[in-house]
Amino acid sequence: MPNVSNAPALRLTDIRKEFSGLVAIENCSLAIEAGEIVALVGDNGAGKSTLVKIIAGVHPPTAGTIEFAGKTVQPTTDANRNDVEVVYQDLALADQQPVYMNLFLGREKIKRPLGLLDRRGMIDEAQALVSQLDVRIPSVTATIRDLSGGQRQGVAIARAFHWAKRIVLLDEPTAALGVAETARVEEIIKTLRTQNLAILIISHSLDQVFRLADRICVLRRGSQVGIRRTAETDKNEIVSMITGLA
Amino acid sequence: MTIRLTTAIATGLVLFSGSAAAETVGPGGEEATPSATITVSDSDAETLRERGATAALLWHTSADFVNAVTDGATDEFERLGIEVVATTDAGFDAARQRSDIETALTLEPDIIIALPLDPVTSAEAFSEAAEAGVSLVFLSNLPSGYVHGEDYAAIVTDDLFQMGKQAADALAAAMGEEGQVAWIYHDADYYVTNQRDNAFMTTIINDYPNIEVVAEEGLADPARAEEIANALLLRYPDLDGIYVTWAQPAEGVIAALRANGNDHTRVVTLDLSEPVALDMVQGGNVAAIVADEAYELGRAMAAVGANDLLGNAMPPFIVAPAITVTADNVAEGWTISLHRDAPESVLNAAQ
Amino acid sequence: MDGVHRLLDRVDVRQNVVYVGFLVIFLFFSVTLWDTGFLSSRNLINIVLQTAPATVMAVGLVFVLSAGEIDLSFGSIVAVAALVGAVVMQEASALVGIAAALAAGCVIGAINGAFVAFLRLPSFLVTLATMGLFAGVARTLTDLRSIPITNEAFAGFFGSGSLFGIPSLVLWTVAVVALGHLVYRHTTFGAHVVATGDNAAAARACRVKVTRIRLSVLVLSGACAALAGLLYAGRIQGARYTLGEADLMIVIAAVIVGGTKLNGGKGSIIGALFGSLLMGMLNNGLILMGLSVSQQLIVRGLIILAAVAISLREPAR
Repeated sequence: MPNVSNAPALRLTDIRKEFSGLVAIENCSLAIEAGEIVALVGDNGAGKSTLVKIIAGVHPPTAGTIEFAGKTVQPTTDANRNDVEVVYQDLALADQQPVYMNLFLGREKIKRPLGLLDRRGMIDEAQALVSQLDVRIPSVTATIRDLSGGQRQGVAIARAFHWAKRIVLLDEPTAALGVAETARVEEIIKTLRTQNLAILIISHSLDQVFRLADRICVLRRGSQVGIRRTAETDKNEIVSMITGLA
Repeated sequence: MTIRLTTAIATGLVLFSGSAAAETVGPGGEEATPSATITVSDSDAETLRERGATAALLWHTSADFVNAVTDGATDEFERLGIEVVATTDAGFDAARQRSDIETALTLEPDIIIALPLDPVTSAEAFSEAAEAGVSLVFLSNLPSGYVHGEDYAAIVTDDLFQMGKQAADALAAAMGEEGQVAWIYHDADYYVTNQRDNAFMTTIINDYPNIEVVAEEGLADPARAEEIANALLLRYPDLDGIYVTWAQPAEGVIAALRANGNDHTRVVTLDLSEPVALDMVQGGNVAAIVADEAYELGRAMAAVGANDLLGNAMPPFIVAPAITVTADNVAEGWTISLHRDAPESVLNAAQ
Repeated sequence: MDGVHRLLDRVDVRQNVVYVGFLVIFLFFSVTLWDTGFLSSRNLINIVLQTAPATVMAVGLVFVLSAGEIDLSFGSIVAVAALVGAVVMQEASALVGIAAALAAGCVIGAINGAFVAFLRLPSFLVTLATMGLFAGVARTLTDLRSIPITNEAFAGFFGSGSLFGIPSLVLWTVAVVALGHLVYRHTTFGAHVVATGDNAAAARACRVKVTRIRLSVLVLSGACAALAGLLYAGRIQGARYTLGEADLMIVIAAVIVGGTKLNGGKGSIIGALFGSLLMGMLNNGLILMGLSVSQQLIVRGLIILAAVAISLREPAR
């Protein structure tokens, strides 16, 4: 019996994914500990998004195993869905709804006797969550449409954080943001680490990767090139791994 | 379709006394009274003018015909010092008619003139008015179960059977009383057109053994008349005559004939319309238009309402005559039917 | 003072156009028609009675639009359901007739829903087609004949009956609007409907059953149309193939003027109620003013144009 409590939050072993005979991912093996931030880097078409989707349960892998805290799982089944939360590039937020309704979308709180929406309860819980992560928005009743890009990103991350039991996946979280907002969002991401979640970030900004990540996993053309500790490598090495040019 | 034909024959038998000289009778077999006999005496007129009564006109649609009836009614009302306080258009919707009646009753009119959309559903709609003792004058149709004298003053109608019959006579004459005709009828549950269409059919069957009805086409949307006519002409290129249920779709039929370069098929229709009359006057396909005296209808309805208000007994079923309009009498046709001048284009072409 | 500010912040002017418009028009008619009985309780109740079927249809349409779809067929469903109910009631009890009518509405709604939710065909085109299809069905159901309804129980329940002096149609309006509002604003279903219309991909990512939502709102619209058909049948003590024919534009206008977005995402049941009442009040007032039919149409069109323009104009960003 594996020692479950010491097992990493997420472990991928020899993951392979084919789409109609085309190999999208192969020989990917990665382990992420709780409280660790791992960056996933690689050029366009390297397979980063595909890997994230496999972890999130959108596609099943063609071969290989996935373990959450030592237990082999099929992320595509409902039972394991709550272990992983994803913050998509387009954020998956309903523009015309207030922040708190977005935070609870699909998982709304209801009041006992009639099963009606518990808006007050959701507002309070949302308020606590937003304060905890220091997401700076005017109010949890503000409409998403009225928030800036960085604020929306904060809301999306807060949602993932609130519901994720083990793993949070972020796809290019600051790609569309300016300098100040990027810094704000990075603060929020660092807070996630203190909550004992395993975090995987796709980023094309090596500066950001070196600011945030503990380890870096490099993919090239669907193949895993290698994993390095951030402290033990530098940008040049990572770039040469991404491009394949020494 | 068989239902329609059976109705036609049944109607013919009811309204027909077996010969070509048909007598129109009311829905309950009532004898017809000519509208010209319905008048308001001078002393009655004086009484009414002093009284200052009110009336409401609750129509089923908006059309030239309705406008002419309205003109006839309002002119007569004006003469009698009766104010028209409300006018409505139910758009052929029975429920809308109910609402219109309800709303109009808020103004407490003394007289209501209306065309009940269908006997079944209008009974409930007009019940409030009947109970309130308003003088009800119905155009052409009667709510089921209504009693003359108690619930309503009279039914006034254009001579629907006569119109259909005159159309048949005119078309037969233009065809030399022999040949093939197509019958384009109104495919909807609307008493006025149903009666007229069926009367045409009955007359052809009974009076003109050498004329064969080769096609029956139902039409619900007047905009589709041209398509229907084209299909007909494709199947029967030697068609001698076409009956079209009323003038608006007839315009489409004429267009189809022109597009086909057809100048031998004769067309007959009901209700005056400028384009149709123009074709007729210029020697086109249209042989005749049968029109009712709409203005006279309106006048008679107003007169009935006024009389009923004063407590004068009114006959149950009053009929306004129909007139066959041909190229020869087109100017009078407009004056007699609609009480206005024929359109310029028609008058100019007629000269 | 702070509370007032917060209230004003939350009040979206565009959403509330219908209430302001309703008030303005009501005041206008109250003044110009003060001597005609416009303000009589009889007339005001009449307005509610006359708009009851449209209001019920509007409630269903709010759900459909909010989910990002549209239903153009509800007018035809009204006729089919009313005729089905009337025909069934000739042989069976009122309860069976009512159930048959509602079932007919749900079935047609489900047909719409199948094409839209499962086959992902555009709801505009699907319901445009079924609108015509079922208008034809309504005509052939009784070969254009109107069917009288003589069932006493039905007349009481849907027609001129009343409870504690309140006409049954008023009670129906209140009940449907209250229930609709409750479900729309205070249940998970309502929240999911709105989210689906706002951003279906986001809703799906959050595990909202989007397909089921789309199917449900179209069935709901069919059921509301069927109920409206029963209300109409009660009004005229019969069923006719023309029922509901003229309602399409009026109901859509009422819903949009009432603050529900055409593209989905945000809507208002109460707004739709007032939109419907506004339309009914307009018809009523213009008739009482003695305007000719043409004048009524023009004025009504202008007022609706103004209301729609104000409620749909996007605020300057």
